[in-house]
Amino acid sequence: MDFLHDLTIKKFHDGLLAKKFSALEIAQAYFARIKEKDGEIGSYLSLAEESAIREAEATDLAIAKDEQIQDLAGVPLGIKDNILIKGLPATAASKILEHYVASYDAGVIQKLKSQQAVFLGKTNLDEFAMGASTENSAFKTTKNPHDLTRVSGGTSGGSAAAVAAHFALAALGSDTGGSIRQPSSFCGVVGMSPTYGAVSRSGVIAMTSSLDQVGPMTKTVEDAAILFGAISGKDPLDATSVDHQFGADLLGPKLEKVKQLVVGLPEEYFIDGTDTVVTKEIENTIEKLKSLGLKFKKVSLPHTKYAVAAYYIIVPAEVSSNLARFDGIRYGTSMREEGDLKDVYLRTKGEGFGAEAKRRIILGTFVLSSGYYDAYYEKAQRVRTLVRRDFEEAFGQVDVMLAPVAPTPAFKIGEKINDPLAMYLCDMFTLPLKLGGFPAISIPTKSVSALAPGELPIGFQLIGKKWHETDILGIGQFYERI
Amino acid sequence: MAQISKEELRHLAELARIELNPGEEEKLLKDLGNILDYFKELQELDTANAIPMTGGTDLRNVFRDDAERGNTNRGAGIEAFPESEDGFLKVPPVFEE
Repeated sequence: MDFLHDLTIKKFHDGLLAKKFSALEIAQAYFARIKEKDGEIGSYLSLAEESAIREAEATDLAIAKDEQIQDLAGVPLGIKDNILIKGLPATAASKILEHYVASYDAGVIQKLKSQQAVFLGKTNLDEFAMGASTENSAFKTTKNPHDLTRVSGGTSGGSAAAVAAHFALAALGSDTGGSIRQPSSFCGVVGMSPTYGAVSRSGVIAMTSSLDQVGPMTKTVEDAAILFGAISGKDPLDATSVDHQFGADLLGPKLEKVKQLVVGLPEEYFIDGTDTVVTKEIENTIEKLKSLGLKFKKVSLPHTKYAVAAYYIIVPAEVSSNLARFDGIRYGTSMREEGDLKDVYLRTKGEGFGAEAKRRIILGTFVLSSGYYDAYYEKAQRVRTLVRRDFEEAFGQVDVMLAPVAPTPAFKIGEKINDPLAMYLCDMFTLPLKLGGFPAISIPTKSVSALAPGELPIGFQLIGKKWHETDILGIGQFYERI
Repeated sequence: MAQISKEELRHLAELARIELNPGEEEKLLKDLGNILDYFKELQELDTANAIPMTGGTDLRNVFRDDAERGNTNRGAGIEAFPESEDGFLKVPPVFEE
């Protein structure tokens, strides 16, 4: 059904109200397409057809009764499988949670349910959101819809591929160091990692609590703004969440305001080693934005080269703590045929966790252990302060910053999977800003229809001041109208 | 800066309660060696004047009302117990008999 290609959240909503189609028809069209085509891409880990049909019918009933419906009523979504939906599997793409069924709704799911959104199924990811390609999933690798020999990116690769291949109208992902933005760039969709604290993590399987954020993955920047507006806000079950009013500019940005924004170009992000295709696309993007009237200015983020190392100390440290709960005692896989409690732990974790999870747990245990704590973990926390200060100082001169999302387009499946360090460096442009809690969005440099045959999508990144999602979403909404 | 020895790796795995097979040990020793090598570049940086950033939020003292909560989701998750008896979670023996 080619009709799905052109659909956006906005068009879907208008079509529902105009009674051009029903929510049920659209949900069924998505399921038909998924069943026909997701076999070769592998974006979903599980489908929720029965509950999705019920949810879609609820919206149709509300329309039939002339009740007010909200922006996301009936909107068919894919949800990353580390986000809990009551009664559905939540595996985090790990064998240790292979048979786990969620017993409650995540905070973001409660908000979406209150708008009567439709959940088509749970999307693939790297195990516990650790990786950059979905190759760390215990179940399957999600292939890039633009080239099946290439990765979809990660960790939210299933969500990115689902949106790109029209297996969902929009999706939720989670971003710790680039897990929404990098797969969005690779698959040619829009993805935003919000300000730390903007969106609840209650019911999101924790990887690195001081960095994890849930965010929208959509076909357009306007859709990202709609979905972000729906999921943001304080949740009493996530003490780090904040009630921030983003105002009317979120959905209706004004060009007079947007073109006043000064865009910084951090010199450390325009370096040799970045693929020339990426460099060229970013240059074209800058020219297009200049045509909108935006001003550009060079800035410096001097501690950029240390951010990856600091990040990959802080993340494993938190992983070793957060993943300790998967021990085979209360839920999940449990290898308890023989022996005492310690044997159960050893075997459950030994067989339940994949290679990257084990690597990070052990590395985290190391950097936190007595004798190494100061040299690694505390050092990394100090570097984190310096990286954050870089951004704060640059934001004294500019309103937003523009940078590549990743140094390359989507890479080949298998290219980096045996070299963890090479995989870590995929995040070099996406993770530094996360250390300071800043929001950033990946936007395709050109629309999918404008790609030449064989050309891979590439995203550019807009980084905002904290709580200034309206700036990056505003520029993005005008960019996609050029 | 230290590299991790095989004995140290086994100790860390024991602390983390992860059983490793010999093949995994070899791969981990190599990978962790490369990763720790990469971390060395942090040592050249003077961080004496940077206070450690210990979390992601700037919030301090987030309180909730000391009041009864309507929905506590009590009892949810019992169906996920790997083993239970009379509604109680059954765990393996902590000590050998």
